[in-house]
Parts: sequence; structure tokens; C-alpha cells
Amino acid sequence: MTLTQIFIFTALGLVAGGFYKRVNRGWLLFLASVLAVFWLQPASLIRNLPFVLPAASLGLATAVWALTLPRETKISRQDWWAAGILGGLILLVSATRFIEPLSDLLAVRPPAVDFAAIFVLVLALFAGLLFWLVRGRMLALYLSIMLIVAILIVIKSPPLAQAASGALRSLSGQDPALASPLDFGWLGFSYIAFRLIHVLRDRAAGRLPAVSLRDFVTYIVFFPALTSGPIDRVERFTPQLQTDFLLDSDQLLTAGRRLITGLFMKFVLADALAFFALNAVNAWQVQSAGWMWLLLLAFSFRIFFDFAGYTHIAIGLGMLFGVVLPENFDQPYLKQNLTAFWNSWHMTLTQWVRSYYFNPVARWLRAHKIPILLVILFGQLTTMGLIGLWHGITWNFITWGFWHGAGLFIHNQWTAFSKTRPFSLSPSITVPLGIIATFAFVTIGWVWFALPQPADAARVFSVLVGMK
Amino acid sequence: MKQELIGKLNTYITGQILKRPDKTLNPNEPLISGGLIDSFSLVDLAMFVEQTWGAKLADTELNAQTFDTLNQLADLIESRL
Repeated sequence: MTLTQIFIFTALGLVAGGFYKRVNRGWLLFLASVLAVFWLQPASLIRNLPFVLPAASLGLATAVWALTLPRETKISRQDWWAAGILGGLILLVSATRFIEPLSDLLAVRPPAVDFAAIFVLVLALFAGLLFWLVRGRMLALYLSIMLIVAILIVIKSPPLAQAASGALRSLSGQDPALASPLDFGWLGFSYIAFRLIHVLRDRAAGRLPAVSLRDFVTYIVFFPALTSGPIDRVERFTPQLQTDFLLDSDQLLTAGRRLITGLFMKFVLADALAFFALNAVNAWQVQSAGWMWLLLLAFSFRIFFDFAGYTHIAIGLGMLFGVVLPENFDQPYLKQNLTAFWNSWHMTLTQWVRSYYFNPVARWLRAHKIPILLVILFGQLTTMGLIGLWHGITWNFITWGFWHGAGLFIHNQWTAFSKTRPFSLSPSITVPLGIIATFAFVTIGWVWFALPQPADAARVFSVLVGMK
Repeated sequence: MKQELIGKLNTYITGQILKRPDKTLNPNEPLISGGLIDSFSLVDLAMFVEQTWGAKLADTELNAQTFDTLNQLADLIESRL
């Protein structure tokens, strides 16, 4: 989100906050979230893609809602209204091509209305078929999860994204030779995908509450959390849209504090640190170990202030609209060990991966009498490898994930060892020592996160240890 | 009933997870957020609960938001018996 976009959302929250006795908050958030998906989507060189991708996010949300609605639940009048408004809004976005000031809603010129109409029809037909033919069927639920994972793999893997870009260019009559993985930036899809998989998996386990289409779509593409999370759970999020809410001075103060903190972290601290934070260019310019450590420290703080800042902004914006989003950070750089760090860094992502990967896998392995040491090693490495892959299917993110997986395994074994042989060192020594060691481990790990090329990372490590 | 649940849970956690069978846990002591039980031990605890009382703890429930203390876990098990 840009500063302008944040200010416009804040202004909307402030204006609407006093009128919820007249304005329905559920509908307002639905309308704003649907339009924001288009507005926040960045430009692309592929024709119509900045329209198609947001529309596909909304189509996927609708299809998953139709597929996961409990069998005994009937489509209500409100659901039909929501479906109609959703289709109407998508058409309206394309119609803004005729209304000069409104056409800025999309980063590129909106597509022709007949193209949008065909798109809406196909999406509606797809959702309808899922609803009437395979609603709640296990095979359909798991195939949908696989489809979403497949899309994620294509987006996150540079060669596949490039191939997809080439195919889309051919389809739209453009030169496929100019295809680039950067063409395929699907805003917020990493978060949208994990919300959708959570819903599909919980439906398969029979734990999903019935949710209206309006509230479901709002949950999937809620604008404050669209670009950088957090990843909420549907049963926690949607009841908040049903309660009475009127923005009072206390809430305004709390939301304002979160927004100001977030803006300061993101646009002052993180953006200032970005000038000298480690990157692929300055990794080759710096010759001394001291300066290289400084660049790495700058990166370490920049990534924290950037991400934690965005989270403050998302939570602050959510509060203005009466939605309390889950916390994502809890002073991670002040934790005494790596396990505590991962319980306080991007908390909603780690909680998601624990719920849908680590816990079922560890439970299965334990039930099959696999030795605990192997379960721990396999569990830590694959869980963190998966978190690495979520950031991008490239060697550097996988290495970063394994670095943390290995660190967690070592910490786990150290904890088990120290239980049987307690040390008598004073906490005044162990606490700061633990914090410094954890921070150093995490910061060294950022080298892989910051640099996509192995040669860049190798160069930085050799300078850091004074070998160059 | 609840005291019996807490007693058995206490014996399992102190003996099998913490390796301190002599210790008695405070029923309101935070186990997960306090760092006493890690994610692996949590899976083992869920399997112990399932085997002992037949109460299923879902994978999405193994976190401090669902239960964090012996008291909360005993309440959760009791509600599923």
C-alpha cells in the first residue's frame, strides 16, 4: 500500500466510523474490499492482467465459498445480493474505462466491458457448478487445495512464472519473447491462498461454520490485510462483522497509535534503512568486514520495521472499521532463543503452517512409532523449508528455511540436554547472552533472504569473516 | 472429575515432557506461551489425551489461544467427554 492509499482508507474509516447506525458496516467493508482488490493491484505489461488477477481472486473466493457451504445451508437472499453486487462491481470496474477520473481505479486502462462480462459469466458458471455438483465432496475439496497450491507454485517459481507470462502474452496477442516473471505479480495471493486452504481443509475436517458470501469474500480480501497479512481465521474474523460498532474516542486513539507507529516504522525507519541495507549491488561494493556487518544489521532492522510496520498499519486500519486483526509480531528480536523468535515473528504464518502441515505430519509420524529424534529433525527442517518456499521457490529462500530448521533442531536438543543437566548460571548472564545469540543467528540467516544469487551470498560471508 | 483430569495431565506433563516427575504444576501456569511445552510435546500431549480419554484435539487447536493451562485443557477435555 502507498501512503496515499493508506490515507484514503484512513479517511474512509474516520468518515464511516460515525455513521454505522445508518450505513451497514458489513456491506461497506464488502464493497470497499472488492474495489480495493482492483485498486491495489500493481500494473503489468500483460494486457488486461491487472483486471484479470483481482477478478480471479474474487472468483476463487466465491468458488471456494460455494464448495464449502454446508449441505444443509441454503443460499440466502443476502447471498444472492452479494453475488449480484460482486458481478456488478467487476463489470463496473471495466466500465470505468468510459469515465475518465474513475478509470484510475485500475493501474492500467480497464478492459472492454464484453471481456469483463464473459469473465464474470465464466466465474459464475464455475461457482454454480461447484455448488450444485460437488459441494462438500472430499475429492473436490482436496483437488481445490491442490489447484491453489499449483497456482502458488507457478507464481513463486521464476521459470514457471516466466512460462505462464509467455503463455498469457500469446493469448493476448503480445510477444511471448518479452515474457518476464515480474509480469505475474498477483497481489496478495500468498495470503489469499493460505486463507482459502484453511477454509477448504477445515471444511474437509467438518469444522467450518456457515458463513455468508458477503462476509466470506470480505474475509478473503479484507483490504487492510490484503498485501501483507496477517492471516486470520474465518471463524474469528467473520463474527466481528455481525456486531454493533460505532467508532468511539478510545478506539480512535488505539487505532491512531497503531497507524502512526506503523507509518513511522515503514515509511521512516525501514525506508531510511533501505538506503544502506544489504542488497545484490552493495554486496559487491563493500570491502571491509565492519561495513558488511553494518549493511547486514541495516537489513535485519529494515525487514523487521517494514513488515512489523505494515502489520501495525493493517491492525490500525482494521480497528477503524471495527475489525480486530490478529497480532503478527511480538518483539521478536528480544527473544532468548530461536523457538521463542519463531513464536513471535510472522506469528499468523507460523501458526498456519503448524496447524496444516507440522501438527498433522508430526502426529502421523509419532503414531507410526518413528523415533522422536527423526521426527524432530524432519519436522523442523521441512516446516521451515516450507516457510522458506512460501517466500519464493528459489535456492536462497530454501537455504534460509533450512538454516532456521537446523537452528530450531539444535535448540530443541539443547533444551532437552539442559533439562537433565541444569546449569547454575545467573539469568543476568544467560538472558542477554540468549538474546544476542538469537539475534546474531537470525541476522546471519538474512544474508540468504536478501540475496537471490549464491555467488552474492558467498561473497558476503567471506567478507563478513574477513576472508576478502 | 476435573481434579482427576488435572492430576493425570500433571503426571504426564511433568514425567514425560518436563522429565521432572517430582514437580507439581500450577493449574493456571501458562504451559505453551510460557515455553514449558514445545510444538513436538504438544503433539504428544494431544495423542495422550486422545488415547486416555478419547477426546480429539484437532491440529488447529494445538496452540495457546485454544488452551494454555492445565485448567483450560481439563475444561476442553471435559466438554468433549
